[in-house]
Amino acid sequence: MWQKPWTTKEGLTIGAGLVGIGLLLQYTLGPIDWELFAFPINTVVLILVLLAVGVGYALHTQFYWIRFLMTGSAAVASLGYVAFFTLLMGLIPQLADSSSDEELGMTRMLSFWPFVLVYLWMTYIVGLLTIRFLWRLVTGKRYALFTSLSHGGLFLALLCGTLGSADMKRLTLTTKVGQPEWRAQDPKGQVVELPLAIQLHEFRMDEYPMQALLVDNQSGQVVDETADWEIRMVRQLDCAAPMVQDTLQVDYVQWLSVGAASAAYVEAVHQPSGKQVEGWISCGSFAFPYQGLKLDEHYSVVMPEREPKRFVSAVSVYTQSGYTINDTILVNRPLSVEGWKIYQLSYDERLGRWSDLSVFELVRDPWLPAVYVGIGLLLIGVIGLFFSHEKQGGATR
Amino acid sequence: MITWNVFAGFAVPAVVLWGMGAWMAWRSRPLSSVVLTVVGTMLFAVFIMGLWDSLERPPLRTMGETRLWYSFFMPIAGLLTYARWRYKWVLSFSTLMAAVFIGINLLKPEIHSKALMPALQSPWFAPHVIVYMFAYALLGATVLLALWMLYRGSDLEIEMVDNLVNVGVVFLTIGMLFGAIWAKEAWGHYWSWDPKETWAAITWMLYLLYIHRRYAAPKQIRPVLWLLLFAFLCLQMCWWGINYLPAAQGSSIHTYNIN
Repeated sequence: MWQKPWTTKEGLTIGAGLVGIGLLLQYTLGPIDWELFAFPINTVVLILVLLAVGVGYALHTQFYWIRFLMTGSAAVASLGYVAFFTLLMGLIPQLADSSSDEELGMTRMLSFWPFVLVYLWMTYIVGLLTIRFLWRLVTGKRYALFTSLSHGGLFLALLCGTLGSADMKRLTLTTKVGQPEWRAQDPKGQVVELPLAIQLHEFRMDEYPMQALLVDNQSGQVVDETADWEIRMVRQLDCAAPMVQDTLQVDYVQWLSVGAASAAYVEAVHQPSGKQVEGWISCGSFAFPYQGLKLDEHYSVVMPEREPKRFVSAVSVYTQSGYTINDTILVNRPLSVEGWKIYQLSYDERLGRWSDLSVFELVRDPWLPAVYVGIGLLLIGVIGLFFSHEKQGGATR
Repeated sequence: MITWNVFAGFAVPAVVLWGMGAWMAWRSRPLSSVVLTVVGTMLFAVFIMGLWDSLERPPLRTMGETRLWYSFFMPIAGLLTYARWRYKWVLSFSTLMAAVFIGINLLKPEIHSKALMPALQSPWFAPHVIVYMFAYALLGATVLLALWMLYRGSDLEIEMVDNLVNVGVVFLTIGMLFGAIWAKEAWGHYWSWDPKETWAAITWMLYLLYIHRRYAAPKQIRPVLWLLLFAFLCLQMCWWGINYLPAAQGSSIHTYNIN
């Protein structure tokens, strides 16, 4: 041990030391409170880390341990620890709230000191290597281009993503049709007044077509198409209500109002015998019950609840600077307004497509551009490595 | 109309063609081998395109549908490896793997849900999953090689394993970053430590560990072969294992296929 050159063994020992320090900090200071890193602290930390990487590289000829950090053995050791703690995170159920006082703190791995320290260690190594590869690049070794891009991109994305998380704001805002709303809630339930207001004009939910499914009367399970019944929906009413007829039979009629349910008139034919059963089925709504059709002692036809295809909120957003933006917000198509991204989050699930309210998530992440630059560099780096693989493989040996 | 009902009509002839291609590789007739494998893959592609058309959405949502792509990419990955390095066994392996996944799809399709929920309606959906499936196919091939090398005590194939892992990691990285950019548009954050993301990170790091270990200690082959087997286990956890993992129950927004 500790005879030069150091190997992975020494690297693993350094990592064990870091884990030990981390556990000490965990027991004395408690878990890391990332909110303390909010601006300007995170910017100061960023500058300190960049300085540490720069100074570290500048001094690498004088200190063996810095040279060691740039070896494959150190990379292997740090990656091993990082993978190990991430694996623990994958195996231990993670808690969202901070109420837990569980002893080791691994149910909130992101605030667990050893986890953060080994990630920091790896990030520092990636930073040192980025400079090394960049240096090789400027001294004419062109193969180092994509290695420096991939390492540099990862360094940037990891560092800015982590430090930026303290400045990220995620708020929910519930709007009702016709009323402008500017009071949002943070994850702890505190009301936050926004520099913008959102007015909901309309919430619309498009649904997938109605389905008629054959189910087993006993188990309620969906039966395969191989059963002998052939089912046809002969009439479909998108918005319907059940009406009790004079004969005491339930009939569905067109009904274009709040609470309407989808209904279909089905004809089912038993192929071998030619026996025919017909009647209404409906998936029901918050106002009306569901309706199935019994075919025989084994099978029934039912209509499952229609699956949502699209949620659309038509909104106007008013900003403090006096602008009005009229647009629609959909899942996968957020609206960007003055540094905020507005996402379609939810609606009144009890009312379903008759919901008159829409819930948005507002996200602000000032560090996002830096993370995206990191992601972009990493992408270019790996794609470049892919196309220059053989040369690269030869060069790193 | 091409639906799951006619799957066997495409899949069985495709497997037969791939099998004949693999046989030709053993017989040292590369041209017939390549042609047969290409024809089989094209036949399979016709089914995927037809299914895409009849579903009116990319067939990438259910587990059965992702297995379909895995079966499709396995012979392609095998063919590329064969064309580049002329390993006789590789087409047999890719055919076997594709056949296993086709077999699962025939016996346990998991195809009932047709609707594509709003969160999945995105231009990022297809590239994210397809790139991942291609990576999985390549990394699956390294498992067989690793087992073979461990069994035979041979080190000769390590260069081939290196190549496959390198290309696999490139695709793994692209799939992950595409996923991050998509997550920002769909869920508001590029990385939420969702169980699927955590396991994707674990898998990615283990393959990076392989690459760096190969660089740090090129002579020690055995340990990295075991590492490959372990990494592939974690990859399975990421792909479908988290659907059953207690630590991920009820907390993953990635579990689309069970509800």
